[in-house]
Amino acid sequence: MNGAEVSLASVAAVMAQVVLCVFGAPLLVGLMRTVRCRLEGRVGPPVVQTWRDVRKLLQKQRTQPERSSIFFTSAPVVLVATTLAIIVFIPMITTRTIFSGGSDLFAIVFLLLAGSMSLALAALDTGTAFGGMGSSRLMAIIALAEPALLVAILAVAAPLHSSSLSVIVVGSLHHSVWIATPQRLLALGAFVIVVLAESGRLPVDNPATHLELTMIHEALMLEYSGPDLAFVVLGESMRFTVLLALLSNLFFPWGISTSLRAPSLVVAVIALVAKVTLLAVAIAAGEVAVAKLRLFRVPELLAGAFVLSVLAVVSSLVIS
Amino acid sequence: MTVWLVAMAACGGVGAACAAAAPNNARAVLVAVFAIGASLCGLIVSVWVVQSGHPVHLATSQILPFNGVELRLDPVGALFVGLTAVVAIAVVIFNVGYSRGHTMSRTSACALPIFVVSMLLIPSVWNVTTFLFCWELMAVSSLVLVLSDYQRSASVRSAALWYAVLTQIGAAAITFAMVVLAVKSGSQSFSAIALHAPSLSPAVRSTVFLLALAGFASKAGAVPLHVWLPKAHAEAPSAVSALMSAAMVNLGIYGIVRVGNTLLGGGPAWWWIIVIVLGATSAVFGSIHSATSTDLKRLLAYSTVDNIGLILIAVGTAGLLRATGHPAFAALALFAGMFHLVNHALFKGTLFLSAGSVLYVTGTRDLDQLGGLFKRMPIASTIFALGTVAITALPPLSGFVSEWLILQGLLHGISSSGTVSVVLMPLSVGALALTGGLTAAAFVKAFGVGFLGVARSSAAESAQEPPRLMNVGSGLLAAFCVVIGVAPIMMVGLFNRVVLVLEPGPNSIVRRHGESFAIQNAHAMFDPSLIAIVLVVALGVAFSARRILSRHYSVRQAPVWAGGRSFQTARMTYTATSFAEPLQRVFDDVLQPSHDLDVSPSGESRYYVESVQFGTRGADLFERHLYQPVFSFVRVIANKARLLQNGSVHRYLAYSFAALLVVLVVAR
Amino acid sequence: MTDHGVIASLLALTSGVVLLGAALALWRRVARGIVNALRVQGLALGATAALLGLQLHNPLLIVTAALLVTVKGYVIPKLFARLIHLDPSSSETEPVINVPASLVASVFLTMVAFVATRPIVDSARSFPVSLVPFGFAAVLIGCFVLVARRKAVSQMVGLLLVDNGIGLVALLLTTGVPMLIELGGTLDVLLVVVVLRVLVTRMHAELGVLDLDALQELHD
Repeated sequence: MNGAEVSLASVAAVMAQVVLCVFGAPLLVGLMRTVRCRLEGRVGPPVVQTWRDVRKLLQKQRTQPERSSIFFTSAPVVLVATTLAIIVFIPMITTRTIFSGGSDLFAIVFLLLAGSMSLALAALDTGTAFGGMGSSRLMAIIALAEPALLVAILAVAAPLHSSSLSVIVVGSLHHSVWIATPQRLLALGAFVIVVLAESGRLPVDNPATHLELTMIHEALMLEYSGPDLAFVVLGESMRFTVLLALLSNLFFPWGISTSLRAPSLVVAVIALVAKVTLLAVAIAAGEVAVAKLRLFRVPELLAGAFVLSVLAVVSSLVIS
Repeated sequence: MTVWLVAMAACGGVGAACAAAAPNNARAVLVAVFAIGASLCGLIVSVWVVQSGHPVHLATSQILPFNGVELRLDPVGALFVGLTAVVAIAVVIFNVGYSRGHTMSRTSACALPIFVVSMLLIPSVWNVTTFLFCWELMAVSSLVLVLSDYQRSASVRSAALWYAVLTQIGAAAITFAMVVLAVKSGSQSFSAIALHAPSLSPAVRSTVFLLALAGFASKAGAVPLHVWLPKAHAEAPSAVSALMSAAMVNLGIYGIVRVGNTLLGGGPAWWWIIVIVLGATSAVFGSIHSATSTDLKRLLAYSTVDNIGLILIAVGTAGLLRATGHPAFAALALFAGMFHLVNHALFKGTLFLSAGSVLYVTGTRDLDQLGGLFKRMPIASTIFALGTVAITALPPLSGFVSEWLILQGLLHGISSSGTVSVVLMPLSVGALALTGGLTAAAFVKAFGVGFLGVARSSAAESAQEPPRLMNVGSGLLAAFCVVIGVAPIMMVGLFNRVVLVLEPGPNSIVRRHGESFAIQNAHAMFDPSLIAIVLVVALGVAFSARRILSRHYSVRQAPVWAGGRSFQTARMTYTATSFAEPLQRVFDDVLQPSHDLDVSPSGESRYYVESVQFGTRGADLFERHLYQPVFSFVRVIANKARLLQNGSVHRYLAYSFAALLVVLVVAR
Repeated sequence: MTDHGVIASLLALTSGVVLLGAALALWRRVARGIVNALRVQGLALGATAALLGLQLHNPLLIVTAALLVTVKGYVIPKLFARLIHLDPSSSETEPVINVPASLVASVFLTMVAFVATRPIVDSARSFPVSLVPFGFAAVLIGCFVLVARRKAVSQMVGLLLVDNGIGLVALLLTTGVPMLIELGGTLDVLLVVVVLRVLVTRMHAELGVLDLDALQELHD
């Protein structure tokens, strides 16, 4: 992996990633809601509803709790910014990214953590009981999800001796047999659970209700309104999209371009959109069949994810 | 260069004497002057040693018995001396501000320079007697400092007792190990010992290593010898806690590395497996406790246990990799461990000093009583926030880089050696990850509950900025965290020098590649500066996007949603106890808390409640299940031993006489 | 891995699923879920036998596979389903050791299995033998289920997990030569399950519950 390769095509690829994620993310969340509604026999809002919400929110005035500080007002910006940084770093379209120095799986874990922590601090900053509750639950879940996440990363990184995303993606592209091995399937299982937990989907948190007492994310963003809320909504949907893109490129790397030539980049964009959409639809369909877990059953789920990831590492060493 | 070493030691002695003689108001300043003098001398020598790569050597047969004093500062020692010096400078500056409100007693003013200088000397001594002398000096002076506030409460005295006992047991183990080495190799000098050590029998080597490990681990605060640490660090004055947590515990690691790598020249894999297991246990145990503590300084102390655990994981991995024939990756792991040690010293120093500021202005360490400090003391709070970001390993501050390096060490450990490491590495990664997550929870709690939101007591309500020098002290360390986090690449040369001494062999595989870390033999390139830049740019973009896109950018202050009620008091907000509750439940088996629920009904009906009091108490698992049985056993023995002692002088003389006879017969 | 071909890859997958089944049995609280885990495991075991048969061109192994799938994938789960139906109180297991802790324990057991079977793997001359750790880990986790779960149903499941693990180890080690033995084993287990079912039914008739803690009192 050479350092920076700045060319028009690579800049274009990064810009495409940013544009796809920023504009596609609310659509993706809207699509999932629609799929869910259709499966439940309801019509549901149109796919672009999230965008309409965001636009409406941007028209409103910002409000801030009386006793809060800059941590409250800056958290939405930090959330969006850390997600933007991840989008810029990870290879979604081509494995030859400009910023290969940042395209590291471990680094991305810490960037994700930074976004969540800023939200958790902002919720405590509001000085309400609901904010504290959401914050406390969010941090507990994140703390327990972390081992599963990092060990799952270890399982995919260990065979290639590298935590660099480009290397891992290229490596798994070259060994197509690997895709169905037990270690990858186990790591995939762990990853899916962690992604669901990190982005507050069922069975960890229910994104469809807005009752502040039972929820994690809803309690966190309770005090936001106007443009700030728009940014939180946008940031969370971007995060979810990025996680899905990461998941799809780690485990189903088909279609990603290994060069910077225009035709393969176009194919890669189409493949990325298709993969992420399929994953999202699958998750939405799965959510119809699942109920939300009790909060104190969530550790069991995450411990299970940890077991899956350790089994993944062990099997990657048995079968080597 | 030897002059500076002598000057360093002299500063300590003179400083102690002057401080003891000085009047109340000048004491802290004098201590600061001399301690900074000693630290600067130390800093000059260590910078010279690291720059030139040549050790500084000084030997005299005068001052101490046996072989006299021998000092030799190599790059490894220089790292520790330099680090201690930086921390000490910040701490004594802080202490000047602190002494405005709390006058320093004559005893602690005398002990502080001695403590600082003994810590500066330990990494630079090069023979057994001098080492043990300095070690004891450090133990005694720190004990005196822990006892500074002994009149305040019984818990201070109990903490000091725990510290004294464990540190002396540790010192005994170290003494025994060192004496065995000196006797077996026929010389006291570390060079001679290192020369002879390979020819010793494996049993002797292992005994020495295990004893030294136990002794140094008790100083470093590794589980299960950590019990003193949360007590002593919480009860000592904040400046002392900062010194102990940011400088003294490092010397425990120094000892393990010095004995394991330099004196014994590495060892079999199982030594290092023990180290890794110790490290992983400490990391997880420490972070569970810090995530559930509600006492700010106790939380920080347990987080020291957890960071020491991470460093031990790295050091152990390095030893294991060396034992299994992968010196290059061993160097990587050691690099990571030393880097994390430096970072930990800097951010933990920052955090302890800021906690000291909080204690100074509010008079409480209880997070449940704090809150809303950010608006009332913005500078001190910002410094604590910087420490928080660094310790939770968030980019772009310092903890991020070293945790990444430790993970790289483990990643390469897994793919390059035998069965055991294959089993240990994923578990270590799991331990490290859990630790990382719990640390994040712990510090969101510490900062979010303590500094943000609403003030929960009148003390927090009336808080204001502490004296400026206190902020200067903690801010100095915070600045280091920022600089190292943004441009860690400038540290590569330093750590490579250090690692080269400990793992002689191939050049380190951590290289500079432009502005990024490159790990040779592996496709890993990592550029923390790039991440920092991208983050800042992204922040700018997001910030201006919010500004441009929103129609009304001005903010309206609004009351919060309180579930439909029209008012909300500070008592309704989440406290640290409630914040930690989910994690407390999850780790119930480890924490084994006991709950006190006290409901007092009002008047005749038991359904109307006057007041409810809820409290949780959690004693340390090891304290309860490991130490208490030992104590009760000792108590039984001690009661038996009282029979020997009836106050008669004749009997005591008879004992002495009998002992003399036995010695004469045995040692004939 | 790269040069072993598709069958080897699938073989690794099915062996992995056997281990996963054992972990699932610890993970789930609902008895139905545990029985499902058992079913998954039985099917994976059958698939392993079939794959081995394909690889070695051994028709007997295919027959075994069919038998395994029928007995372990269909008959035994069916029996359990009726048992749960009989006593609704047994539909949720009560762990003696809580779920996260037992999951962490299963990680350690897997590690132990891995270390213990290392010599076998190192001296392995054929690929299937290197998969033995999966089976061994399943055996250990099965034993752990026996220790850590209270209800009679989960005790029986634990026994079957052990049996499935042993079955996998035997299949992989012998690559199917003395299949008769394995067949006999399967039938034995079926017999045991039937006997246990009778016992459990009697226990239910006597005590009204399927909780083994209720059996602690000794009768003269």
